Amino acid sequence: MQKWHWPTPNGLPPFHISIVVICSILLLALSASMVEISYNRIVNGWRPMVDFLGHLLVTPDWSYLGQLGAKMLETVEMTVLATAIATIVSVPVGILAAENASPHPFVYRIMREVLSFARALPELVWALVFVSAVGLGPLPGVMALAFVTVGFMAKFIAESIEVVGKGAVEGIQSTGGGRLQTIMFAIMPQALPDFAGTLLYILDHNLRAAAILGLVGAGGIGYDMVISMRMFEYDRIIMIAISIYLIVTLLDRLSDKLRKRIIHGKVNVIR
Amino acid sequence: MASIKINSLAKTYDNGFQALQCLSLDIDPGSFTVILGPSGAGKSTLLRTINGLETATSGTVCVSNLQVNKQNLKSIREHVAMVFQQFNLVSRLSVMTNVLTGRLAKRHSLLSLLYLFPKEDYAIALKALERVGLEEKVWHRADKLSGGQQQRVGIARALAQEPLAIIADEPVASLDPRSSKEVLTLLRDICREMNITVVASLHQVDFAREYADRIIGMNAGRIVFDGPPSAFTSSQEISLYQHETMEVKEDAKMALAYA
Amino acid sequence: MVKSMLSANHAMAGLEGRPRNLFPVWLSLILIVLWRITVDLDIDFSTLAYGVSDMGEYFSRYRTPDFSRISTYLELILQTLATAFWGTVFALIVSVVLAPLAARNLSPHPLIYRLSREMLNFMRAMPDLLLALLFVAAIGLGPLAGIIALSIHTAGFLGKFFAESLERVDGGVYEALEAVGAGFLQTVMFAGWPSINREFVGYTLYIMDRNVRAASVLGLVGAGGIGLELNEALALFRYDRASAIMILIITVIIVIDHLSSYLRKKLN
Ligand SMILES: Nc1ncnc2c1ncn2[C@@H]1O[C@H](COP(=O)(O)OP(=O)(O)OP(=O)(O)O)[C@@H](O)[C@H]1O
Ligand SMILES: [Mg+2]
Repeated sequence: MQKWHWPTPNGLPPFHISIVVICSILLLALSASMVEISYNRIVNGWRPMVDFLGHLLVTPDWSYLGQLGAKMLETVEMTVLATAIATIVSVPVGILAAENASPHPFVYRIMREVLSFARALPELVWALVFVSAVGLGPLPGVMALAFVTVGFMAKFIAESIEVVGKGAVEGIQSTGGGRLQTIMFAIMPQALPDFAGTLLYILDHNLRAAAILGLVGAGGIGYDMVISMRMFEYDRIIMIAISIYLIVTLLDRLSDKLRKRIIHGKVNVIR
Repeated sequence: MASIKINSLAKTYDNGFQALQCLSLDIDPGSFTVILGPSGAGKSTLLRTINGLETATSGTVCVSNLQVNKQNLKSIREHVAMVFQQFNLVSRLSVMTNVLTGRLAKRHSLLSLLYLFPKEDYAIALKALERVGLEEKVWHRADKLSGGQQQRVGIARALAQEPLAIIADEPVASLDPRSSKEVLTLLRDICREMNITVVASLHQVDFAREYADRIIGMNAGRIVFDGPPSAFTSSQEISLYQHETMEVKEDAKMALAYA
Repeated sequence: MVKSMLSANHAMAGLEGRPRNLFPVWLSLILIVLWRITVDLDIDFSTLAYGVSDMGEYFSRYRTPDFSRISTYLELILQTLATAFWGTVFALIVSVVLAPLAARNLSPHPLIYRLSREMLNFMRAMPDLLLALLFVAAIGLGPLAGIIALSIHTAGFLGKFFAESLERVDGGVYEALEAVGAGFLQTVMFAGWPSINREFVGYTLYIMDRNVRAASVLGLVGAGGIGLELNEALALFRYDRASAIMILIITVIIVIDHLSSYLRKKLN
């Protein structure tokens, strides 16, 4: 490296970039055996993969279509219900967890901790817990989804309430409004468009999450996926995979469009 | 040093707008040419076709006998440098790295993708930075400089290409009068000392008179004036910017001030 | 003329008044849909209310965490972290390749743009656990299946984020690089990535964070990590063990969360 060097004063690559790269490579090397990655595995690993993909090239099992539709509907319904419940719960919780709207700093701290606890584990873990509490079916799924969603949504609401300038709050308070009025008239209208965007992201995420809850028996299409997998019913697996892809993509496109319109102010969510 | 030969050049944009209408022009090697004209006259379009940033609908552009087209695009761009109104520097990279990007056309190897440059490139870049008077700012981030300094970095990047011609599209339109003078003086000196052909578009007629060897007046995609600065009289000036000054001729100077 | 303007004004006023009146309609519509859904899903909230006391009893079973198998748990947690890390690195590599192709103002050809966008969408659409399920069937049990699943799913995310950031970069900068005769890859390296360096690090940290969370449940489908242990503990009604595992997972996730938000703050 005499002749070529980097555009830095000393000709070496930037310090922090080198550190990150070197540490990452070291970490990868150290953990390779832990995750069972080896030269052998990579060289021979693609064969079973190709075989498996070959299995997927089958004609779909059309007789399964009806049940598939029902299960997909169930998945979507779980998503919608859980998100709706979470929204209703999140508004008051979010207000309590906002520094400038919470009745007491202590309440604020407690709420924040509870929310970060709710966010810490993936839906599937909660689903597992709730399934062993209330039994199989969509109910534990909805509970798990709603629980985690409150963790995210209430935090978001709290943060946007905090961001809304003190000016708006003082404006209302100077007219003699109480706390609740302040929140309703000063904070909510300003935070709403932002909230609508977040809601779309959350719906998107929850649909994907609902699709896997069935893995632990918490309702939705995931259950069929596991069963078909166990029974090697590739003609069903491929149908399930495609329909999940389609519905997720559909929602994705829809929410992308809506989000753009909200950002550009074409949809007025405040009404 | 390169001659630029433009022959019956026409450009129609996708929306059907005809920005250049059968325009022919020969620019002498090593000359400093200024293009004037009201907004929308097609100055930018003309300049951008010389570098191949726009493709002509019909007609030809040749730089030093090399025709601007798809096949020659790389070598044309290697030899024809651009200077932009908005500087277009990579704001989060250092001044040095920005100037080094001028060397990229000559460095095809994978090493350049890893930001590795040979010693000689550093020498060339440093010389370019010295030429524009920024040798003290070499390791500063580009967006930490003032507008005038950023434009000088832009010129240094152009110089690092060791170009035959520099095309400057409104190089001083975002600068205050003093920096504008500095930048134009710099461009003219480069033109004189290094024999680099410079074509610049300007909105300030006074600057054009002061710096240009030759003034081209454009309006509605056509050349309406072509001659030395001495021939560009104030009546020429008024007719060039006619549609803005038609009603009150006495206010021509005022109107021009805002053009 | 005046008349028509007046009537137009009238129509406008009418339009403005309407949505306010429609609000109760929307609300009741939403409520009806939600009610239909609860009926459809066979969810009976009265049993839920009745079960609250049971729930209290149920959750009390988690009160005494049993850490006797801690060394196994720690090993599996390390494996979970390693899975997340490998997955993130692979996702990063794939998305760094695809994102410039999927950025409208940078992509060499509209067709390439569409194709790579669709590819990213496709990768993103499949939930990572379902992918893990597929890969476990394809290449066998173990964390490798999880790594591949995570990489595919989050490469879709990262690729989309990066592409959108690259699209927000001022087009003049790309043009300047084109004008000096730089090639596509040179433009990407010198004008693309450096212009979005902050976003790059931010999104990567965010995805790393997310992957740790996701990796902690990959074990449920046999794709390595702590998830399998949790599943087994619950299947054996060993709530004390499950409690210990969950405490460990939560601790690790919260630590990672704080670490990455600290790093993100330091960046700004
Ligand atoms: N990409 C494009 N698509 C369609 N029309 C364009 C495009 N770029 C420029 N035009 C039109 O072509 C005409 C000439 O534009 P050009 O930018 O060359 O003018 P100009 O002389 O540089 O003006 P200014 O002094 O404002 O920079 C303008 O009317 C403009 O609207
Ligand atoms: Mg212009």
